[in-house]
Amino acid sequence: MSDVSLVRTPPRFRSATGESAGTRWALIAVAFTGLAILVFAPLIAVFVVALADGVAASLESLASRDARDAIRLTLTIAAISVPLNAAFGIAAAWFITKFDFRGKAFLITLIDLPFSVSPVVAGLCIVLMFGANSALGGWLVANGFPIVFAMPGIILATMFVTFPFVARELIPVMIEQGRAEEEAGLTLGASGWRVFWTVTLPNIRWALLYGVLLCNARAMGEFGAVAVVSGKIRGQTATMPTTIEMLYQEYLSVAAFSLAAVLALLALVTLLLKTALEIRHADQLAATHRP
Amino acid sequence: MGRPLIHRSPMPGLGLSMGITLTMLCIIVLLPIGALLLKGANYGLAGIWETVNRERVWAALYLSFRLSLLAAIFNLVFGVLLAWVLVRYRFPGRRILDAAVDLPFALPTAVAGISLTALYAPKGVFGQLAAEIGWKIAYTQWGIFIALVFVGLPFVTRTVQPVVEEIEREVEEVSATLGATRLHTLRHVILPMLTPAALTGFALALARAVGEYGSVIFIAGNIPLVTEIAPLLIIIQLEEFNYDAAAAIGIAMLLISFAMLLVINLIQVWSRRRIGYV
Repeated sequence: MSDVSLVRTPPRFRSATGESAGTRWALIAVAFTGLAILVFAPLIAVFVVALADGVAASLESLASRDARDAIRLTLTIAAISVPLNAAFGIAAAWFITKFDFRGKAFLITLIDLPFSVSPVVAGLCIVLMFGANSALGGWLVANGFPIVFAMPGIILATMFVTFPFVARELIPVMIEQGRAEEEAGLTLGASGWRVFWTVTLPNIRWALLYGVLLCNARAMGEFGAVAVVSGKIRGQTATMPTTIEMLYQEYLSVAAFSLAAVLALLALVTLLLKTALEIRHADQLAATHRP
Repeated sequence: MGRPLIHRSPMPGLGLSMGITLTMLCIIVLLPIGALLLKGANYGLAGIWETVNRERVWAALYLSFRLSLLAAIFNLVFGVLLAWVLVRYRFPGRRILDAAVDLPFALPTAVAGISLTALYAPKGVFGQLAAEIGWKIAYTQWGIFIALVFVGLPFVTRTVQPVVEEIEREVEEVSATLGATRLHTLRHVILPMLTPAALTGFALALARAVGEYGSVIFIAGNIPLVTEIAPLLIIIQLEEFNYDAAAAIGIAMLLISFAMLLVINLIQVWSRRRIGYV
């Protein structure tokens, strides 16, 4: 891999398995330009617009009641849905990798299903299932437990769109690690839970953290599905992304972009941690991820 | 049927892990999707067809699909290039570039949406440049295209990257020894090896783009028949409490998603048969 490095090869003995220096730099330039326009520019624009009226104005808008309510709600939603999905991911990965049963491939396809369903359609599904004019939803509302246009609906929508994240990260890692270590633990007389806590969990901890990280980023930023189920009631069901939309449509640009900047910072921290994990614990992450 | 449904295993936790997995899968994913299909069944095929077969709905579905296809094609080419550059070349800033590829995964779609709009609107940095040559981007189909390129950007790169890493140098050396030019090797040796992964990434980017909502609605302008995407139509129907029509469009989109899921699986089966790995 290192033989196509920056090491200058004399032109006459150009490596037969590399491109010419000119081609190389041209491709690198295209990559840089493309990502600069497509990725870096939008990222920078968020902060530029957020700080257009100065740091004080930006911070002031974040201290407003709407913004604080939205931040609190988004944190609450993530704090509930991410651990639930992590628990699901661990259970599903355990079931799929420690046992042999028919229909395993089909089960994995079902778990991956939310990735190919539009978030808006996901939200629609939840409205149709639990909305006030469905049988179940009507009964729940009558008993004082509304789901749609309330927090449970937002949690369900968030869990739907982030459903596969943890399972998907854990399954390849646990397949690769096999069952021998757990079997050894069991033979030595450890209980099932003890084997899980002392053998399996330490083996999968970095992959689990990786999955949780991605799951959390998506959970806090989900917009389409939440926009459908939440009803966007200020102070009650307006999450950070839906509040950004409302502020933007009211032409409160600095307020909208300040809140957006908070989410952009979260995205940056997520990427930073993810890259750190990839560098330090590459061998313990899913095989599809690069060394 | 000699094969048991579940093989006996000394592993503990079968009941618990199976119970959690199936219960949560049903409550969170399968039952809600079932509710949508049931709603469609009650509404009837004729009803669904009547809803979908309207100019505004066709225009939206066609727009979503066509622009998603164009964006996915762009991402296919740029994604393969990016994967190649990131794996094969060493240059300052490579790690940052590599991490940046994932930003569209990490950045919430609403944030991307308003930010792209700020850039490409007539008063924005890129919008002004484009306006000088009489090119309007935001609030036209170009704007939707750019938003869809943004959300689909990581897919092809991330599926192709591991495959590029696994290409054995010897193969390229053999090709060169046999007298092939570098271009010939790339075209006839490397590219076929990357094709299955690239197509998988392409299909994933396409599926994502067809259903995308958050990053598109701000920049789209949302003019019926011109820049109105299919997911937005669902939201509009829901806001008018027109659940039947929303379900009909939702089912049409779900069918498109399932068709694409099938295509992804077929590509993987095909590539496994052809080269022995995905």
